[in-house]
Amino acid sequence: MRSASSLSSCRLGNEKEGSRLKREREVESDRDMSESIVPPEVRPKPAVPAKPPHVSAPSPTAPHGPSGLGGGVGVDRVPGSGHSGGGSTLLGYIGIDTIIEQMRKKTMKAGFDFNIMIVGHSGLGKSTLVNTLFKSQVSRWSSGWGGEHKIPKTVEIKAVSHVIEEGGVKMKLTVIDTPGFGDQINNENCWDPISKYINEQYEKFLKEEVNIARKKRIPDTRVHCCLYFISPTGHSLRKLDIEFMKHLSRVVNIIPVIAKSDTMTLDEKNEFKHRVRKELETYGIEYYPQNEFDDDMEDKNENDKIREAMPFAVVGSDKEYQVNGKRVLGRKTAWGVVEVENPNHCEFALLRDFLIRSHLQDLKEVTHNIHYETYRARRLNDNGGLHPISSNNTQESNL
Amino acid sequence: MSQSGEKGKFPEAAGYVGFANLPNQVHRKSVKKGFEFTLMVVGESGLGKSTLINSLFLTDLYPERYIPGAAEKIERTVQIEASTVEIEERGVKLRLTVVDTPGYGDAINSQDCFKTIIQYIDNQFERYLHDESGLNRRHIVDNRVHCCFYFISPFGHGLKPLDVEFMKAIHSKVNIVPVIAKADTLTLKERDRLKRRILDEIAEHGIRIYQLPDADSDEDEEFKEQTRILKASIPFAVIGSNQLIEVKGKKIRGRLYPWGVVEVENPDHNDFLKLRTMLVTHMQDLQEVTQDLHYENFRSERLKRAGRAGEEDVMDKDQILLQKEAELRRMQEMISQMQAQMKMKGDE
Repeated sequence: MRSASSLSSCRLGNEKEGSRLKREREVESDRDMSESIVPPEVRPKPAVPAKPPHVSAPSPTAPHGPSGLGGGVGVDRVPGSGHSGGGSTLLGYIGIDTIIEQMRKKTMKAGFDFNIMIVGHSGLGKSTLVNTLFKSQVSRWSSGWGGEHKIPKTVEIKAVSHVIEEGGVKMKLTVIDTPGFGDQINNENCWDPISKYINEQYEKFLKEEVNIARKKRIPDTRVHCCLYFISPTGHSLRKLDIEFMKHLSRVVNIIPVIAKSDTMTLDEKNEFKHRVRKELETYGIEYYPQNEFDDDMEDKNENDKIREAMPFAVVGSDKEYQVNGKRVLGRKTAWGVVEVENPNHCEFALLRDFLIRSHLQDLKEVTHNIHYETYRARRLNDNGGLHPISSNNTQESNL
Repeated sequence: MSQSGEKGKFPEAAGYVGFANLPNQVHRKSVKKGFEFTLMVVGESGLGKSTLINSLFLTDLYPERYIPGAAEKIERTVQIEASTVEIEERGVKLRLTVVDTPGYGDAINSQDCFKTIIQYIDNQFERYLHDESGLNRRHIVDNRVHCCFYFISPFGHGLKPLDVEFMKAIHSKVNIVPVIAKADTLTLKERDRLKRRILDEIAEHGIRIYQLPDADSDEDEEFKEQTRILKASIPFAVIGSNQLIEVKGKKIRGRLYPWGVVEVENPDHNDFLKLRTMLVTHMQDLQEVTQDLHYENFRSERLKRAGRAGEEDVMDKDQILLQKEAELRRMQEMISQMQAQMKMKGDE
């Protein structure tokens, strides 16, 4: 029996009502019990951490894996590294940290879903950018500029799914395109179809969750991330940009990007970014990563750095050219080659690292734990409960 | 005197009258008078219109630009701002008026944004018509819009619905010159594709843009070639810049990127020089077309409308006459009926 053992679950960072990932720290306050075992801090995560774990025999510090802009995911600290939680060193190696490896194997087998929505006027290079991000032809248009780019009369929602694989990890990537957004003469409420689509996905997931006989893995069609393309006018945001982001930043993770940024010189770019950030602040638009969801100081610092650098000014391209003996993705003009992955030319590399290499999982989590839960709470409160599902005979709701 | 009509090369030769000098006299008079030209620029904000105007005329027409944030833009409707500048070059004076249209295309609902512009153009025509029909015609100021540069965004795949609607609404009132703005965004292939697409869409919607007149057959080959090149490059893909950059020891206007320098006046980089050439060599023609075509259209429409209002009065008078005549006839019939009745009674 442990004397004076106190199990305190403390929530770090801001307290969010409802559903924040509980991080329970079991702290052994009495240090006299040298015989007792101090379990390492484990963050229960539903899916695979981004960094490969290092399973090693007791060593003071576990080396961290490769990080993009600083990993915010899956920290596995072997006890004895001198942080405030675990004081005493482990006497023998148990192997609890192999759970990370087990989780990883499972998720690799299962694969995971990622749904990204791209919104912006036609011609801002959305499809090209998505192709460049995922280094495959995942957008609506399989070839570059060729086909008929007729502007539809209303905003349409077109979702295209592909399964891409890298390093044994399978990802079902769905790109949701929104042609017709912002292209009409009268663009009032053109964000309504988009908002409806996002809520429909939440509804679908909710219905599955509320079933008595639930599927083992609910297919996740919720929009995890919305890339909003800002036109590089060099002046300021347009009214439509502000209205859209105001309405949707509470419903989905919005990442604003400045499209076709090879149209601006460095000074113009910095000035524009600064002005855009100011305007987003003035209108209270919380883009991802949102301030309020930062867990702890480390996250906050890292996210602060990212927030300062956003919105990223990007250039997309799926053509390769020879520059200084290397083959690079770029755009060739009469006065030079714009290199997409060169950080001096544009911020594509930053966006890619941020979106894919470090925050992919976090995007899914925020969508699941915050946006979805907000929707769910609202739904459950509104109607005093969900209506029983009558569409399928075998499924009944538990309300 | 037998060779009176001959344009003699030798002024002293017999038969030289001297009216071959007339063009020179006209030239001298007009140089003294100076030229007037009104240019309207229309396009969404942020397409580089002001920068281009400054580059074209090598002046700073907009010295202290205040760029409003999105907050202020929300309140604004389309406005018309006309700024005039006098430019002199080699003794020739040009009074250039640039009409800017800030707020165009900014609103979420842009349906009304060209009403203001069309009204402005019509007002200028109206004023000229009024002056022309007035008693004192000595100092008519010509503020009619001679040319409209319409800025097309390079970020789209062609014309936007707003572009099409606007051009359809004003192509019968002003000379439209479509211009592709911020052309340093496009690679050469993309530029060609975009130009072709725009021309296709213009033809598809029946939009009448300003057509450069073919060179006369007696002009020299060089001029003809130049005209051919100009005609083939419409719409012009241009870049503007207010900054001077040093390239190979020379200071030129351009934009400095980490991957290279875009030179504004380099014909390989963009069509800026072609646009300037076109504007300058065809300034006279633009004014003529405005006078002969657009203004005359407006004038005949206006006068017809005024005339039709007068005609309606006349028609009413005829109708009234007819009505009165019909009434008279009826009364006469009644009287004759009553007379017949009285006669019958008298007979009884």
